[in-house]
Amino acid sequence: MSDFTIKNITFSKRPISIPADYRPAYKIAQICLILKHSCIGEKSSLLKFHLISWAFKSIENRKTLLTFITDPKHSDLSVWGIEPTLNRALHIAVADNFCSYQNANYKLEEKGLEFAKKIEEVKDILADEIALLKQIGKRGITEKSIQDLTNKWTLFND
Amino acid sequence: MIKINAIKIEVNTDSGLFGADYEFSEGFNIIRGDNTSGKSSLFQSILYCLGFEELIGGKNEKTMQSVLKDIVEYPKGTSHRVLQSFVLLEFRNGKEETITVRRSVISSSRAPQLVDVYNGALLTGKNKAISSQPMFIHDKGGASDDIYGFHLFLEKFLGWNLPYVFNKTGESRKIYIQQIAPSFIIEQKSGWSDFLATMPFYSLTNKEARVIEFLLNLDVYENKQVRQNLITSKRILDDKWARLYKQLNRFAERGGGKIINLESKPTILNNTNPISILLSHEGKNYSIPDFIEIQNEQLIELETRIIPKVSEKIEQNEAKIDSLTESINAVTLNYELLSEEVGFDRDKLKRYEIQLESLKEDLRKNKGAQKVKKLGAELDSKMAHDLCPTCEQPIKDSLLPSDIAQNPMLIEDNIIFIEAQIKMIKVYIEGLAFNVSEKEERLNRIRMNLSNKRQSLRGLKRELISDDRLPSELEIEKKLNIKKRIEFYNRYLEDFNELLDEAKQLSAEHEKLLKDTEKLQSDFFSVTDRKKLDYLLSQFKRLLFEFDYKSKSSDFIDISLDNYLPVAQKQFGDDLKSYDLRFDSSASDFIRCIWAYTCSLYLTSNNFDANHPKLLMFDEPKQQDISLIHFRSFLTELSSYSGVQILLFASFENSDESYQIATEGLDFNLIYIDKKLIKPIDNKPLAS
Repeated sequence: MSDFTIKNITFSKRPISIPADYRPAYKIAQICLILKHSCIGEKSSLLKFHLISWAFKSIENRKTLLTFITDPKHSDLSVWGIEPTLNRALHIAVADNFCSYQNANYKLEEKGLEFAKKIEEVKDILADEIALLKQIGKRGITEKSIQDLTNKWTLFND
Repeated sequence: MIKINAIKIEVNTDSGLFGADYEFSEGFNIIRGDNTSGKSSLFQSILYCLGFEELIGGKNEKTMQSVLKDIVEYPKGTSHRVLQSFVLLEFRNGKEETITVRRSVISSSRAPQLVDVYNGALLTGKNKAISSQPMFIHDKGGASDDIYGFHLFLEKFLGWNLPYVFNKTGESRKIYIQQIAPSFIIEQKSGWSDFLATMPFYSLTNKEARVIEFLLNLDVYENKQVRQNLITSKRILDDKWARLYKQLNRFAERGGGKIINLESKPTILNNTNPISILLSHEGKNYSIPDFIEIQNEQLIELETRIIPKVSEKIEQNEAKIDSLTESINAVTLNYELLSEEVGFDRDKLKRYEIQLESLKEDLRKNKGAQKVKKLGAELDSKMAHDLCPTCEQPIKDSLLPSDIAQNPMLIEDNIIFIEAQIKMIKVYIEGLAFNVSEKEERLNRIRMNLSNKRQSLRGLKRELISDDRLPSELEIEKKLNIKKRIEFYNRYLEDFNELLDEAKQLSAEHEKLLKDTEKLQSDFFSVTDRKKLDYLLSQFKRLLFEFDYKSKSSDFIDISLDNYLPVAQKQFGDDLKSYDLRFDSSASDFIRCIWAYTCSLYLTSNNFDANHPKLLMFDEPKQQDISLIHFRSFLTELSSYSGVQILLFASFENSDESYQIATEGLDFNLIYIDKKLIKPIDNKPLAS
């Protein structure tokens, strides 16, 4: 029996692999690109970020969002994912002066714009995302349309 | 060929512009400066501009001294903080093309991995409006990117064509230009500790040998290359042969035969023992033509015989039906089991393929993330340096909540991790796909077998219920079958001969390869190679004598044929054994060896018009208390050279007298660093 006595076990923590999506630089890059391409006056509300960021996640989401823009009558878009990582990225982006927070909206700053431009110069990075943003366009999703959608979220419509 | 025209150092400090500005002449330059003058900073700046700072140890601005990145002290006791610094180097090649390279040490706008290459003489020329192009150093692509890789550009500029060599993992890769540099640039801190001591590794096997082979343009390299090609051809041939071997075996199986006289490895085929297929008939083996002959005879026999009536064969037929039914049942079971297995494997394969796709997507995104982060770093972003933009404390490169105590992998490691996974999945897929196709083939064979058996069963049954006075249908069928078989084997024979031709061709290729290998194996060194190495040895010995080397008699000094470095030989009984010269020489004598070897390399290359860049750089060659007399011999030797640019940095024991003794009467260009290298510069705008 004593053959099997284990004196002690030690565990050492190894670094884990995380999706590129969870890298601050990657997310901030998305934020800057969203502001540059798909927002009037390069300003956006928090929920709009979440909507577009959700669309980046999968091809199905992308289709749902595009249907909402091009053919709202047949759209079944009603809710979308909210992810805390995006909020954290926004915190960093504001602190690092990529964008600023004014009147409950985020606005692209000069540094963020330059960042976005640099990214677009390198052809092969975030290409799908940039293509989607260009398809959405500046007026594709207005703050009002988001307001209309979120108004339906309440359980007690009065 | 490379000639350095001039260097310029610009250091902006909080109290104005500082810097240095020197021009070099074509031949022998002695750069004299006292120990603390910043002489080595000048030496290192030249390496830095060429992207050779790995010789000092390390990459990028880390290798540079503090006067270029932290604090300038001028005059002694007063310090100024460095805000920005750049180094510029102007040089030309053998075709009299001049370029100027500008590289930052400290700059908020220019990363040190980025150099600006000006297409002209920015330092010594009158015209300052010269177009420039940014290029990369050290980053992936620095040595291979056609448009933006500085070291590839430098290689072309020098008219070099660096050879491809095999690294530890067996991949073919170009020698890096930084690996050539230690053969003509001797750095102060570790350059004097061994031959070619500062050569970066880059997982290249026997790198010293490859570098010297290139420098002296030895044919042995090409011969080795030829051998490498032979090895590759052999591998390809082995593959082809293995494929043919499989194909022939399957072919034999298809015809129900067995292949003989075929080896699984390439062999020279002789007509005495031809490859052939044996078909068995009634317990005996026949070659294809013989088999066809037998079938023909049978057909003739059947045609002459009277076809028996059904009634005569009833009993026989019933027995046959029983055995056929049994065998069909067994085969059907096999078929079902196997087809289930194949279905399962196919599913698994599909799952792996989906996984591979998503991994590839993941890899693409991660590479994107890596580039995005680099771009962020160019914008002076705290986040891109893993610092909190508010409090400047280190943060993890992750958006997961900070109270999750997990360490994310570095993005570089993450990429490697995913790449490894992709490799693994690819191996799985390959294995599985092979499995699936094999099983599918087997299924096909079983299906054929099954349908043949069912057909004969149907025939038998039909005959049992038919009019028993009719001629036996089966007998007629038998005749038809033989006819069909003869037709089949005639075609089979044709196909087999085609495969045989292919085998003969491979055999011929194999024979030629063997001959070529045999021819090569005798000696890698060409006659010129021998001459070059003899010359190298004789020059090396001559210089050792000149520099008063005493540790070993020159009779026992040789050049190793493995790595072309000098070795000492010792007698052991009847055997001569080679030893590293370092262990057999006193410390000061080993310095003499490095002087002599570096000069001999140049002299040999020059004598045989090989690839030496015709530049020699030494930082403080008077090491290990070598006496001034011998140092003078070294300088005298150098001053006798023409057509080579020499930059020799020395302090002459900080004494004018030593300088006099060492250099009096010699022909050279003196560059004197007066007190301090980095001095204030008048930064007023020029009056227009």
